[in-house]
Amino acid sequence: MSNNSDPRTQLTLPSGITVEHDPDDLWSDSRMIVNIGPTHPAMHGALRMAAKLNGETIESSYCAFGYTHRAKEKLGENRTFHQFIVYTDRLNYCSSLVNNVTYAMAVEKLLGVEVPERAVWIRMIVSEIARVVDHLVCVGINAVDLGAFSFFLYGFHQREEAYTLIEKLCGARLTTSYTRIGGLMFDAPEGFEKELKAWVNRTRKVIDEMDRLLTGNKIWHQRTIGVGVFNKEACLKYSYTGPNARAAGIDVDLRRDQPSMFYKNVEFDVPVAQNGDVFDRYAVRIEEMRQSLNIIAQCADRMKKGPIWAEDKRVRIPDKDVVHNTMEGLIHHFKFFMTGFEVPEGEAYACFEAANGELGFYIVSKGAPRAHRMRIRGPSVYHYQGLSSMVRGEKIADMIAALGSINIIAGELDR
Amino acid sequence: MSKDGSLGYLTTRLQDAINWGRKNSLWPLPFGTSCCGIEMMATLASDYDMARFGAEAIRFSPRQADLLIVAGIINTKMAPILKTVYDQMSDPKFVISMGACASSGGIFNVYSVLQGIDTTIPVDVYVPGCPPAPEGLLNALLRLQDKVARGDTHSQRRMAEAAKGNIARL
Amino acid sequence: MDIRTPIPTNGGDWLTKFGETWKAQAEALRQKFGGAIEEIRMPPDYPTDVPIVYVRKEAVAEVLAHLKSDPAFEYGFLSDITATDEMTDPRFEVVYNLFSHVRFNRIRVKVRARDGEAVPTASSVWPAANWAEREVFDMFGIRFEGHPDLRRILMDERWVGHPLRKDYPLKGYQIFTDAEVIHPELLDKG
Repeated sequence: MSNNSDPRTQLTLPSGITVEHDPDDLWSDSRMIVNIGPTHPAMHGALRMAAKLNGETIESSYCAFGYTHRAKEKLGENRTFHQFIVYTDRLNYCSSLVNNVTYAMAVEKLLGVEVPERAVWIRMIVSEIARVVDHLVCVGINAVDLGAFSFFLYGFHQREEAYTLIEKLCGARLTTSYTRIGGLMFDAPEGFEKELKAWVNRTRKVIDEMDRLLTGNKIWHQRTIGVGVFNKEACLKYSYTGPNARAAGIDVDLRRDQPSMFYKNVEFDVPVAQNGDVFDRYAVRIEEMRQSLNIIAQCADRMKKGPIWAEDKRVRIPDKDVVHNTMEGLIHHFKFFMTGFEVPEGEAYACFEAANGELGFYIVSKGAPRAHRMRIRGPSVYHYQGLSSMVRGEKIADMIAALGSINIIAGELDR
Repeated sequence: MSKDGSLGYLTTRLQDAINWGRKNSLWPLPFGTSCCGIEMMATLASDYDMARFGAEAIRFSPRQADLLIVAGIINTKMAPILKTVYDQMSDPKFVISMGACASSGGIFNVYSVLQGIDTTIPVDVYVPGCPPAPEGLLNALLRLQDKVARGDTHSQRRMAEAAKGNIARL
Repeated sequence: MDIRTPIPTNGGDWLTKFGETWKAQAEALRQKFGGAIEEIRMPPDYPTDVPIVYVRKEAVAEVLAHLKSDPAFEYGFLSDITATDEMTDPRFEVVYNLFSHVRFNRIRVKVRARDGEAVPTASSVWPAANWAEREVFDMFGIRFEGHPDLRRILMDERWVGHPLRKDYPLKGYQIFTDAEVIHPELLDKG
């Protein structure tokens, strides 16, 4: 202690971190720096936060990530446009179908390819199924983090049923790779519409049940209302999109405001809340699931039989029949999969309302079968950026609630 | 115990009994980082219910767990952390490498991805798939239980060697 | 067929809906900033979906602030900041994708930068630009002048090189034996 008039000293902890220590202040030793993650159970995979705590209150913090960085943007420059479809699955793996659809739309935009009507309806259906699944996972895990385990089980059971449907479409559960550029991997099987509607009805009931279970729960209210507040101005500053922005009163939904596919032709509401706290994000997600189910029901009604592939020789994968029986078909097949098709020069930013917010693919093509630049705009990056200012001054347990409610998915955060 | 009073027979029988207990009460530490982590959660949830095989007591502290399920990609930034977590677990400890990323890097042969966690920690059971279906993880758990019953995992073999005095005790 | 083919299910109406607005905005930008605008590439003439405004790098923060708040533009939402490695001189292009919550149209601003040159930061206009610019720095090595906290974000802090440069090998692994530590001095930058 060099200066006697100021009793505060620098205290060096065994980990090499220096904290200020005032021996006269009874509460001074309650101030400490903690490292949360990247393997902490509440940090959803691989997020890290360093926080300076005063007691249980977060005084300041900073976030780190990159613990699941898989170089998908670099791979986009080294794989053909067709090969890159599988990498889009691993972005937001809770709703990989939306990623597939958005990526296909981006490349189709560059190519000037129009997909037939049936394929568009199916793409809308799978996007909305993926949105429901993603929201089920998000609210379920958010509830688990706050101790409501049975709520999570309801959600995960209904998610399994959705996966049964998705498996019927493409054979995979999570990493679907369902869309192709200019079409779809497979057509929907016979009787799919009927099963879809049955699933929609069952899911509606389950969501109502989940709603009754948790929305009015007093403990849930205490843990979520007024917690992790991020108001409209802050959301605009930090480029928040999707349910997190709508929970704060930003009435923007790219499905309605920048319509692609047939979203103009279906009716749905965009739920908007005002407070921007954890409860509002939860409530917006619950209501969005209901709206998604409405969209799915409308799509199932309007879907007609028809082709699922664009009439464009460049992108059309040759039929197996032709490949196995003709020389030209075989050569075409090899050319398609080994060198890929060339995408004309140009650049496009295609974006779509993914489950978490604006998912964008910014592709620059120089006329080669590989992209010159493949940029993926994941909404989670921007959501995670706001976390530090969102939780400043709140309790550390509320940080867990806030983090769960903005639904950070490591796959699209780190890419 | 044998009739002549030697303990060899008893020791092995006791070891079998201990291993039987071990294999039926594995306490997993889920090290889920990406897609496979979601499927691991599905395995733990009601539809697949890993509790049926005695492995439902999830422990997030490495000191309290004996089964490390590495579900998802481990990149070069994460690898030292995985090693620390593994080192903090007490023997005997078992490792399941779930999914292509953890087992070999999978489709991500790129600058940032560790090409298989077995370059960093010993692995007992690999689960193929990207991601594996929950049935795949359950099958891996059963395979691991067989291995534990035989005393054939990396950790158990090291413990046995240490008990014989061949290698230093950790 | 290329990007100029309008596809009705995939933003095919953008040009009819926003073409006039974009033209007026391009004219207004040229009048307001004059020499600071290098060129403007409009959609039907150039293969792009939205207009690309090339700005001299000294003026970029000013132009972005104008685009954000001026009632004729109102691009209040920063969609994304990224960069491309063109392997020519100047080597890099920093790309700003903007979106308007009022008119629901988009615009793209680009800045050319040579290797080693710094670009003025946009984080004073949008705090969201902070991490996006850090990522551009991490991946391309483009420095941002006036940035509050410019350091690596995705890669380890000890990483050598910038992975998304065209000359960085796809399999250029770098292995570390110990984990990154936390830095208490960064806590207040949050």
